Amino acid sequence: MLTFWKNVLENSPDAYEKAVRARDARIGSFLEFNPTRHLGNAPGEVASAEKHAVLAGLPFGVKDNIAVDGFRLSCGSRILENFNSPYHATAVQRLIDAGAVPVGKTNLDEFGMGSSTDNSALGSTTNPWNEDYVVGGSSGGSAAAVAAGLVPFALGSDTGGSVRQPASFCGVYGLKPTYGTVSRFGLVAYASSLDVIGAISTDLDVLQAVYEVISGADPFDQTSMDPVPSASHDADAAGVASLGYRGKSPCLGVLKPEQLELSAEVAETYQTCLEGFRSLGYEVKEVSLSMLEYVAPVYYTIATAEASANLARYNGVRYGLRPDYAENPEELVRLSRDQGFGAEVKLRILLGTYVLRSGFQDQYYLRAQKIRTAIRTDFEASFGEVDMILTPTFPRQAFRHGGEDMSPFEQKQADKFTASANLAGIPALSFPAGVPKGLPVGMQLLAPAFGEPRLLAAARDYATLYKPELAPGYERPAGEQ
Amino acid sequence: MNTQELYVTADLAHIQLTEEEISRLALQVEQMVAYFSKMSEFDVSGLEPTTHMQVSRSRARVDERRDIPGAHSDTLLDAAEELEDRFIVIPNVL
Repeated sequence: MLTFWKNVLENSPDAYEKAVRARDARIGSFLEFNPTRHLGNAPGEVASAEKHAVLAGLPFGVKDNIAVDGFRLSCGSRILENFNSPYHATAVQRLIDAGAVPVGKTNLDEFGMGSSTDNSALGSTTNPWNEDYVVGGSSGGSAAAVAAGLVPFALGSDTGGSVRQPASFCGVYGLKPTYGTVSRFGLVAYASSLDVIGAISTDLDVLQAVYEVISGADPFDQTSMDPVPSASHDADAAGVASLGYRGKSPCLGVLKPEQLELSAEVAETYQTCLEGFRSLGYEVKEVSLSMLEYVAPVYYTIATAEASANLARYNGVRYGLRPDYAENPEELVRLSRDQGFGAEVKLRILLGTYVLRSGFQDQYYLRAQKIRTAIRTDFEASFGEVDMILTPTFPRQAFRHGGEDMSPFEQKQADKFTASANLAGIPALSFPAGVPKGLPVGMQLLAPAFGEPRLLAAARDYATLYKPELAPGYERPAGEQ
Repeated sequence: MNTQELYVTADLAHIQLTEEEISRLALQVEQMVAYFSKMSEFDVSGLEPTTHMQVSRSRARVDERRDIPGAHSDTLLDAAEELEDRFIVIPNVL
């Protein structure tokens, strides 16, 4: 399959474009697609180009809140609907330098706010496994594009689970790196202390190469840094039975059963997965993440507070949608925001503004930041006992469009497994673990900061037991004869 | 949060809300704020706030011009809806 992807743009870009458009008419993963716009860009000089040769020639999708020169940067919002990016995000530039080719921008919940991609103002995306179900979010377009064989990998952003949850719903891999290891330059800010660019793919070699290429300090993002390798993080990422990494069996931490609250299908897949890891020689040990119950309220307090500040820049003056007429400057700003933002974005801006109001700040925002410290130390204590923690990515499978079987409030509460990694700044990987009743279920592995290699190694181990399935009808890449 | 509080908050956020939006959002905001209140159960005494991960100190960069390909002032200005010379034109609001 990779051989096809490496040559498709050079050999048959027209057939590829036609095939993607035909498939995507049903899925709706791309907001903008043009496979030849960046074709022929000379790859830059990358010291490790040979090491990452797997990426050369590969087309990739980019979530539409990450800048790609020559494409729009809409964030799925009417307020930026016609905004064109004048430059590349650092992550995109590094992939281009490694020879990969950005072919389009994928749909998302407006500004990354949502768990379904149904909150996009600019398009609807549906799950390649079953069109009655959502694709997850907010990087839903990226996950759908990969699951439907439109691209071999795609970039997403993850603030509280936005790479991992749609990856879980679509049966693909989704990696959220350690906070700060991937430059946020060119990523439109949602919640700056939580945001990180991540990657989605069906292929672990590709996922690993993408992570290695996009990570590392960037002078344009003062919070970015090189991953810090440590003797305790030395899983051999190239492979295999990481049995024996660190000279002993790897140890997986699991939560207490009463902390899980899973649907029957996810609970069953989780048990199968645990047994699978045991059969591979992993030890399994219960850990007490007692702070888990606070994760969702803390996450939504911090995320909405930061969002209300970050989204203050959309005022109809410098760029973006604006009304034809306003009585005064204040009205210009209000009308722009009223017409430009969707309901979920307004809700989160209001919540964020409220928790930052003088008189309420100590009660909400400051308290959330302090509990965040406790959540972080809770993880640190657990990682003293185990190498990784295994949880389901989301407590249930994909839900139906319109939220009739899962309300927006329930969707937020269900972010507890994923958002914990963002609050603690640690890396996490969602990997496909089963397809009960025709919809995929993903499991999540969490590791200490900079532990991406061990996450990838464990996923490789698990792939020897369970080979991820591709969505029915999309087993072959778009355009393959 | 009562409706009056919601209007004050919307005003601070520069968001204009219709009555229909207010009645719909009031319930959702109320639900989330009640959810946030769970945090009051937890004793935070002695805990320092976490404002950022992996950042132990402020990092300052050298104060010098850095060129980002494509991000010159001209290309950035071109992204504005309407320009007059190098000024961004906004609707007449006076």
